Amino acid sequence: MLAKIPKWNLMLGIILIAEIIIFGLINPRFLNITILLNSFNDFIGIAIIAFFVTFVVITGGIDISGGSIIGLTSVVIGILSQVIGINIWVSIILAILVGGLCGLLNGILIAYGRVQAMVITLGGMLLYSGVAIVLVGFSGVSTYEGISGFPQAFTNLAYGKLLGIPHSVLLFFIMFAIAFVLLYWTRYGRYIYLTGINQHAAEYAGIHTRKIIASTYVLSGLSAGVAGVMLTSYLGSARADFGAEYLMPILTVVVLGGTLITGGKGGVVGTALASIIVGFLQIGLQMGGVSTQYIGLATGLLLIISAAFLGISADFKSNIKRIVSPQKNSV
Amino acid sequence: MSKVETMLKQREFRTFLFLILLFVIVGIVNTDFLSLGNIHNVLKSSLLYIVLAIGMTFVLLTGNIDISVGGVLGLSAAVSGIILRDGGSIILAVFIAILIGIIIGLINGLGVTKLKISSFIMTLGMLGILRVIQVIYTDGKWIENLPIAFKQLSQINILGINALAIIVIVAVILIQLFLSNGNKGRYFAAIGDNEDGAILLGIPVKRYKTYSFIISSVCASIAGLIFASQIGFISTTAGLGIEMTVIAATVLGGVSLVGGLGSIVGASIGAIIMTSIISALVFMKVPAFWNDAISGSLLIIIVVTDALLARKSSNQAKKERLNARVIQKEV
Repeated sequence: MLAKIPKWNLMLGIILIAEIIIFGLINPRFLNITILLNSFNDFIGIAIIAFFVTFVVITGGIDISGGSIIGLTSVVIGILSQVIGINIWVSIILAILVGGLCGLLNGILIAYGRVQAMVITLGGMLLYSGVAIVLVGFSGVSTYEGISGFPQAFTNLAYGKLLGIPHSVLLFFIMFAIAFVLLYWTRYGRYIYLTGINQHAAEYAGIHTRKIIASTYVLSGLSAGVAGVMLTSYLGSARADFGAEYLMPILTVVVLGGTLITGGKGGVVGTALASIIVGFLQIGLQMGGVSTQYIGLATGLLLIISAAFLGISADFKSNIKRIVSPQKNSV
Repeated sequence: MSKVETMLKQREFRTFLFLILLFVIVGIVNTDFLSLGNIHNVLKSSLLYIVLAIGMTFVLLTGNIDISVGGVLGLSAAVSGIILRDGGSIILAVFIAILIGIIIGLINGLGVTKLKISSFIMTLGMLGILRVIQVIYTDGKWIENLPIAFKQLSQINILGINALAIIVIVAVILIQLFLSNGNKGRYFAAIGDNEDGAILLGIPVKRYKTYSFIISSVCASIAGLIFASQIGFISTTAGLGIEMTVIAATVLGGVSLVGGLGSIVGASIGAIIMTSIISALVFMKVPAFWNDAISGSLLIIIVVTDALLARKSSNQAKKERLNARVIQKEV
């Protein structure tokens, strides 16, 4: 049973348990299950985007525009429902679709224009947050206050509970399940891996690699839209600069989850575990009395150390093998 | 005739044409934009980005990327700013700033070459760490009351032209000559073009990659000094998000993100374009909230058009080569 789980995921699981024990010893309040479950609200946005950025990274691309799509969807919800006066649920769906459109633009330019993913999503990052600021500018709302006054039903999205479980936890597992099923149980998921391992070979095998690549960006954009909805509901107002600081955490979680930045290898289970690790790390440090300023330090170090570990492990493994079974080499 | 054609084929020249076009178009709307005073101002405010772009080009040439420049800029500006404020000499401040650049560049370079961390991840993690160190070091406060002598350094004019601008332009030309004609200068592009080939040629690849990171960080600390001198105070958010503008500028200037292609001159023109776009918007009386949206869409449009043009011309060249071969056989 244990042998079936990839080693890195097992490692992440151990880190997570160790983290819970250590923080629990420092501050027993950390072991309070309600607090832990409610803390999902703080990193749900990062986690859902990271699931689908994992798809993008497996195909060999990168998407750094997710954070600014959050701001854009947030503003779109605010303007549609509060300024124009459309029904809040319709606005939510439209806003998520806007996120998907942003992803589609990224995907088409990257897959069909064959321009570097990094450049396009960088331009996209400026463009989407720019559009959000322009929309705010036109709607006459103050940039710093944002659009507020949402109905109770909308605020309930983030604060509500179903059978005692907060909505954010449910959403985390729903999005995880969608990503998991797509990646491991469908032909689409297989194609994503094949595209990432060798795009030319995949193309020769009859896979429409461009469609696959473009679609991963659409998924990533849609998930950023969902994250934008949750964050707007959680914070109770719509602002253009929401998600601006998410770039580093999203990539941290994806890389810490064991996905290779060069593509072809990785998975969403690792991303899920890593996002919980990073999320709990922040709450644990806060509860342990560490000032919020230091949290960036912890995530930065975690990112570098985990990447170093993943980078070394391949060499390390072959060296160990050589030491363990030297006769094979001598033959 | 052929000379004009080869000039037109040069990426730097196309970028330069775009810069002139930008100035002419904005000049038609508002003739003040074409005044010598304004051109001088644009040049002065783009110095910071030019210096950063020089360093970034070195890293990009080797096929890596440096996201941490904004952090290095902020930290070295803060540290040297505190030294200056507390009555330290300017020479000491400059020395410390450059030392910071060398140390951080060395860590980045060793992480990428020895620990085999992808440069994107390594420098992203470094950025997070540096931001935290800067906030802790400055206690989250602004650094004000810099000595007037230091502030005036950026205001010295020689023959009506800013002295710093002259130094930077001369440096750009010298470094460009080193990169395109110098024996060792070509190593950087060679590594990015074909790393295995560079190893076979006997180029010390790892050492030169580390050099590129050190150069980039030192450039960032020099940019930090320029920032402190030009602005006169250092906020806690100094250099926040500047790395993305710099990468965008170098890409605009024709530096490839895959490595091996690009020039310092092109990157500098790209940097001037980025600053003149913002200045142009002011002159065209476009509200400031348009800045990001317009820079982002211009970046995407230019990069995609250029990729399409380049592919078209390479296809054309392939066809011509094939035709030539067929004709040769027939003869």
